Amino acid sequence: MRRAVPLAAVVLVLVLPWLTASQFTLHLAITVLLWTVLGVAWNLLGGYGGQVSFGHATFFGVGAYTTLILYLKLGLAPWYGMAVGGAVGALVSLPIGLVCFRLRGPYFSLATLAVAEILRLVALNWEGLTNGPVGLLITALPPVRIASRPIDWESKTPFYYMVAGLALAAMLAAYGLARSRLGAYLLAVREDEDTAEAVGIDTVRAKVVTLALSAFLAAVAGGFYGLYFRYVDPDAVFPIALSVEMVFIAVVGGLATVAGPAVGAVFLVTISELFRERFLVGHLIFYGLFMMLAIRYLPEGIWGGMRRLFSRHAPS
Amino acid sequence: MPLLEISGLTKDFGGLRAVSNLSFGVEPGEILGLIGPNGAGKTTVFNLVTGFHRPTAGAIRLAGAGLVGLKPHAVTRRGVARTFQIVKPFPKLSVLENVTLAAFLRHPARRDAEGEARRALEQVGLGAKLAAPAADLTLAEQKRLETARALATRPTLLLLDEPMGGLNPREVEDASALVRRIRAAGVTVVLVEHVMKAIMRLSDRVVVIHHGEKIADGAPDRVVQDPGVIAAYLGKRVA
Repeated sequence: MRRAVPLAAVVLVLVLPWLTASQFTLHLAITVLLWTVLGVAWNLLGGYGGQVSFGHATFFGVGAYTTLILYLKLGLAPWYGMAVGGAVGALVSLPIGLVCFRLRGPYFSLATLAVAEILRLVALNWEGLTNGPVGLLITALPPVRIASRPIDWESKTPFYYMVAGLALAAMLAAYGLARSRLGAYLLAVREDEDTAEAVGIDTVRAKVVTLALSAFLAAVAGGFYGLYFRYVDPDAVFPIALSVEMVFIAVVGGLATVAGPAVGAVFLVTISELFRERFLVGHLIFYGLFMMLAIRYLPEGIWGGMRRLFSRHAPS
Repeated sequence: MPLLEISGLTKDFGGLRAVSNLSFGVEPGEILGLIGPNGAGKTTVFNLVTGFHRPTAGAIRLAGAGLVGLKPHAVTRRGVARTFQIVKPFPKLSVLENVTLAAFLRHPARRDAEGEARRALEQVGLGAKLAAPAADLTLAEQKRLETARALATRPTLLLLDEPMGGLNPREVEDASALVRRIRAAGVTVVLVEHVMKAIMRLSDRVVVIHHGEKIADGAPDRVVQDPGVIAAYLGKRVA
């Protein structure tokens, strides 16, 4: 059971492009996997460390813009740009962390929200770098050959495998973090910061390092977004809604769990698509209603609740 | 040289002087009782030594090195561990995990940290409860868990804030025996306590503070006869 579920999930993800010819299904799968990466990224800090950021769009946007700017202005291929974007995201997170982590609880959350808004306004007004509200557009992606076969950038399959790899890497990183010393420190920070300090944990450092890891993942995901949609503008990559959605994915899936964000992403993307089809007007009302029900009745998230069910029935 | 040396320590909270020009030393291997009526500033002294508060004036030295200005985690790293008056175990985590967190300070690898945590838990007599959630322990056990957590950071100086508060006489005996075992293992102990009988029997020396000032410092049997101490506890008329 413990091994079978993740293994089956990985196999399903790998063979999915062979199971369906529909580009729309692949697009949905890409969306789910992208949200998974973002949910995992947010969960590192928010789930394990208990530091609820409402501004993770900051790093998503920085990654997206870095990737596109490097490609359009310097000709750096976007897949390298994604890695650089991740590094820039982590770098940007350091001053943000050092300032915002002076605050605790809701004050921290509000500070992160403000930071994301500031970045959106910067992107909107720094036209020399970002093209302002017009945004940046990639017209053609550089040709790539794998095993001497050119990759078809018009198909969604290469993007699918790219983001699937990212999601897998992000979840492995979360798995590793949860079992590391830093993971243990984060639990202590989440439970009680004074006690954590009393047992010798540098709480500010633990939070700043985790924020940097989290920002790196979110920024790489942002780079992928830019590459996949070939277009970014300030309202697409820095909106508050994006930051909030990351929180939802992790909370609905299961805080401080490795698989939770994946479950949350599947659920929320499915729900939002269903409602969008049925109720063209006002579908967000149902989405919001579902969120409230989930938080009221599944405080541990879907995956957290399922895990508890299994562990109760499993022979210990 | 004293292990811990406090000189001229003063702490103001707004207009209130919680600790006033306090000086005393703690010798290596000593058990020192820090006592005084409610609100005398005992816990504030602990908070000042461990970096949770910054003194208004004065110096705190551990084996000659200044501690003032260090963050709490840095003080712990230098070898000063503490427990809290109101126990603060991580309730959802297991007993072992609670202590392992602290043991990570000296052991980066999880296996070594868990080994250290098991040793500390054996030392305080919780070796049989490793897997229990901390929330399921009795108050006496939670206090011992806190002590184990402090010990897992390998301190040279251990500050215990009311390790016997709220315990029954039998548990007080056990807690006293534990403090003696900890000292025998080479750790210097300072404890704040209200259970007078226990602290008088346990301490090598007692420092009495009242309104943030030191009013007596000496062997327990001498201190209890001190008119100033009696006045502080029972009022001037009795003395």
